[in-house]
Amino acid sequence: MGIEEAWLIPTYGFIAFGVIALFGRYLPSQGKHLSIIAIVAAFVTFWPVLFDFVSKGVGEYHVPRVWFSAGDISVGSGMIIDPLTIVMLALVTLVASLVQIYSLGYMRHSHKGHIADDPRIGWYFAVHSLFTAAMLTLVLADNLLLLYLAWELVGLCSYFLIGFWWERKSAVNASKKAFITTRVGDVGLLIGILILVAETGTFDISDIIYAVVNGDVSEGKTTLAAFMIFLGAMGKSAQFPLHVWLPDAMEGPTPVSALIHAATMVTAGVFLVARLLPIYEMAESAQMFIAIIGIVTALMGATLALVVTDLKRMLAYSTMSHLGFMMLTLGAGGFTAAAFHLLMHGVSKAMLFLSAGSIMHAMNDETDMNKMGGLRHRMPITGAAFTIGALSLSGIAPLAAFWSKDEMLLAIQDRLSPVFVVLFLVAVVLSALYMSRATYLVFFGPLKVENRRVHESPALMSMPLVVLAVLSVFAGFIALPLGGGYEGIGRFLFYGEHGHDFEFQPLWTVVSIVLATGGFGFGIWLYKSKRTTVDNLRVRFEGVHRVLINRYYMDTAYQWIVDRVVLALGRSVALFDRTIVNDRGVNGAGLTVLGMGKRLRSHVTGLFADYGLAMGSGVVAIALYVWLRSV
Amino acid sequence: MNYAERHVLETLIYLPMLAALVLVFVPRPQKTVIRWISIGSAIALLVMSVYAFLAFDYDGGARFQLQRSYPWLEILGIEFAMGIDGIAAPMVLLTGIVSAAGAIVAANIQRDNKDYYILLFLLIAGVYGTFVSMDLFFFFFFYELAIVPMYLLIGIWGSSSKFKDFDRPKEYGALKLVMMIVAASLLIWIVIIGIYAEAAAGSFNIEIIMAQVNAPGRFSETFQSVMFLMTMVGFGVLAGMWPFHTWSPDGHVAAPTSVSMLHAGVLMKLGGFGIIRIGMMLLPEGMQQWALLLFIIGTINVIYGAVSALAQHDLKYVIGYSSVSHMGYVFMGIATMTSVGLTGATLQMFAHGIMTALFFTVVGGIYERTHTRDTLVLNGLASKMKWGTAFFVIAGLASLGLPGLAGFVAELLVFIGAFRTEPILGALGVLGAAITAVYILRLIGRTFYGERDKKWDNITDLTSREFIAATILVLPLFYIGLYPQPLLRVIRPGVDAILAGLGA
Repeated sequence: MGIEEAWLIPTYGFIAFGVIALFGRYLPSQGKHLSIIAIVAAFVTFWPVLFDFVSKGVGEYHVPRVWFSAGDISVGSGMIIDPLTIVMLALVTLVASLVQIYSLGYMRHSHKGHIADDPRIGWYFAVHSLFTAAMLTLVLADNLLLLYLAWELVGLCSYFLIGFWWERKSAVNASKKAFITTRVGDVGLLIGILILVAETGTFDISDIIYAVVNGDVSEGKTTLAAFMIFLGAMGKSAQFPLHVWLPDAMEGPTPVSALIHAATMVTAGVFLVARLLPIYEMAESAQMFIAIIGIVTALMGATLALVVTDLKRMLAYSTMSHLGFMMLTLGAGGFTAAAFHLLMHGVSKAMLFLSAGSIMHAMNDETDMNKMGGLRHRMPITGAAFTIGALSLSGIAPLAAFWSKDEMLLAIQDRLSPVFVVLFLVAVVLSALYMSRATYLVFFGPLKVENRRVHESPALMSMPLVVLAVLSVFAGFIALPLGGGYEGIGRFLFYGEHGHDFEFQPLWTVVSIVLATGGFGFGIWLYKSKRTTVDNLRVRFEGVHRVLINRYYMDTAYQWIVDRVVLALGRSVALFDRTIVNDRGVNGAGLTVLGMGKRLRSHVTGLFADYGLAMGSGVVAIALYVWLRSV
Repeated sequence: MNYAERHVLETLIYLPMLAALVLVFVPRPQKTVIRWISIGSAIALLVMSVYAFLAFDYDGGARFQLQRSYPWLEILGIEFAMGIDGIAAPMVLLTGIVSAAGAIVAANIQRDNKDYYILLFLLIAGVYGTFVSMDLFFFFFFYELAIVPMYLLIGIWGSSSKFKDFDRPKEYGALKLVMMIVAASLLIWIVIIGIYAEAAAGSFNIEIIMAQVNAPGRFSETFQSVMFLMTMVGFGVLAGMWPFHTWSPDGHVAAPTSVSMLHAGVLMKLGGFGIIRIGMMLLPEGMQQWALLLFIIGTINVIYGAVSALAQHDLKYVIGYSSVSHMGYVFMGIATMTSVGLTGATLQMFAHGIMTALFFTVVGGIYERTHTRDTLVLNGLASKMKWGTAFFVIAGLASLGLPGLAGFVAELLVFIGAFRTEPILGALGVLGAAITAVYILRLIGRTFYGERDKKWDNITDLTSREFIAATILVLPLFYIGLYPQPLLRVIRPGVDAILAGLGA
């Protein structure tokens, strides 16, 4: 088995979805184990593909296949397998497998006194499988249409999973918000794709990139398409101003959040831009735009994460901020660094969310950090995992995200103006601050009386945490040449002449270590010994605090636009349609006809002979007319 | 041609007529017998439609296939001539699928189901007749045959609705629908006579007339220009073309479920089909002159229909406006005059026909159980109607253009064509698909999700009949969405021939 069989990796998930969705009710536990088998099978299948890929020599492999053709357009359903695909496959299959196993434990609630599976457990696992399969298809797709198909499927699965507990109004609204917000971006994506297709006559990604780089597409069109496609990436990867759905997506079960934030959803946008980076290199203004959006998102996410008291939302804003980092890096052309951070962030963030889930499982779905504290005494595994994740994402050496953050910093200072570097460093400090704040609030300090009976989660849930924790500590070392022909992530991802070794610039490394460690330490110190100072600050800068608590009023503004503009427009058009187009236009003009109609109505006798006769005579009359005319 | 191939098209017309005739002699109280005769006939029709579709030789066959012709009124050159090209073949298949589902759903009609089925079969015969006729006289005859029963079906078996600030009695919906379409068909009749006279070939046969279109001194630019405009409006009314679309929402609100299914599912397609068959094929220069107008109106349809649907809270109004919006893509695809775009238009007719029929199946089911279609009152039905929800969500996803379902492939092809000709209108079309997502998800969120009102504690899921009907519709939706090639390769020769005629 080799790279030609890579299509198997997503296929298991699709099959599992189909079987569980249709026949789950006849299977034991609604078929949930089938889903686990499918995703773990994908993870297992990944390895021979990887070995084959390495033994054939790192490069770009194309496995073409025709899907359908219409007119002069032919659409494929083939695969590209290159280093980017490989690392994404690794991340998605690994995280999805762990999240699935974790869900086995998490999705058992106490229900009327005894612990049982969620009543819709089958549906949960079915969509989980589909979600993973769609994301795997997305990273394998060799053409933009298949990619778009998978892209939309990913969106659909997030809609189903965020709205999984659809009896809750808030869950329904959150799922709707996620789907529609990302859909707004997708309009851009589809338009961008269509522009490129109209220009090049193909959907094939390598062909399109080749045409663009060769200058076959005009600069204007390239730039426009690049902007439009980035809109899609903004929606999926929660970039400002299309980020509003991400914090609300917390309405879904927590393992789903882990999946969305680490593997299957928000990474799609970053992946898309990375995949099409050669096009962005040809569209300078679009690339600059990406960098700006990236840093704005990073700062916005970080500031929001600093004030929010809901644990899951804090993590969501943290994701937003880190996605901003990745986009910023892509805007600087830092392909390797962005993809590397995608992996490292994915591993650490999945763990943080699963830890949060573990806490919620123990504390009756409580998510308010102010009601926690000192939990490390009661939940040692979760506490250790969360702390490792927090340290990693703060960029503290030598944990996973430290390495990738360093790479990003180098890429940014290499290409972009110092303003970006300074803002990036500010965001890094903020990251360390909010992570230390959360860690302290939840796990340190005194244990609250009412939390005395909290206990560690079952092994099904804690084991995935341990795996991810180990990875969060050691995964960063893939940046270094580890021997056996492996020369570090830089040479693997960006194979060929442009590859580079892991760079180590002492100045920047020292700066980043000092800032991250300092930020984290300062946060702990602040919350441990100067709690009153924090409260005073909050009162002192009440205006700022209010803006942050209200999420920069962006949700309010969007709601206003939807209610007062979009729906109002709908209502007025509908009213116009009924009163003007219909009542004036149709009824008015048709008044005489209507008179005839009234007479006709009195003939509604239900006798077919009448109508048959009427129709027949009509036809005869017409025939007669034709005949007379032609004679 | 073997025996079956020679006779399949005429059988598609005769069989529903025969079914209607047999039903005339079944005693009225024998409701179950009537149901089974009807459902049996409809399924036989489906099987034959599939057969006709598969018998179509897409690879090097003639343009019109399965031809059959009987002399009728030779002095006028009228013959009962049938044949299908790459455009008509998928429409025949569509009619088979929707009729079968419609006849199964119609089994819930309690009052005078004998008369109901008789009218329904006359309508179906008319639709088949229009799609397969190669003679313009019979084309028109069947076209009218398909429309007229509509008035009685809605007027007698329909339902009246009261809304907060206006009423819609069923008679109003029925009358408006039929009046508008019949009035418009007068234009079509004028066009047909005009073309017949202009061709001066002494024949109503399309192939014979087509041979005259490029003959010197015939079919002048002015003639084509005027005639095309009349064709566009005449058929446009039935296809829900803005601003002649207002029969669609009101008509659907009044119509019983199976009539809505057939009407939105196949009848509206007669309009789009007519524009292609008469407008594009017989009036190529007129088509080229008015293409931009058709394009703009198509785009208006898409946006206007979608925006109007946003504000509706009656399920049928939403779907009625949604149909207006989706038919816009058909006009856009036709107006691109490219092979991708026209293929997309044809596929869109097919896809929309099926997804709308599916919508109406579920909505009809909901109405029967709750006696309301108001989404402000309905809520949380998902916990009681698992299958109903599943089918509705699938139809909704097809409607908002989710890849993997038939609607997406169709819209995509239209968009590709549009981006090659009028990129800005194409982009507006894409925007329309996003608005669709908003109203569809609002609808699903309100009707099926959320906490269930106590009132709906006792409603039941779809009956096995409704389930079967929905399944018949869902399968092609997925099949075409995942593997559209079988349909596309049949459409292709038809489209190529038309474009060759346009000189494009």
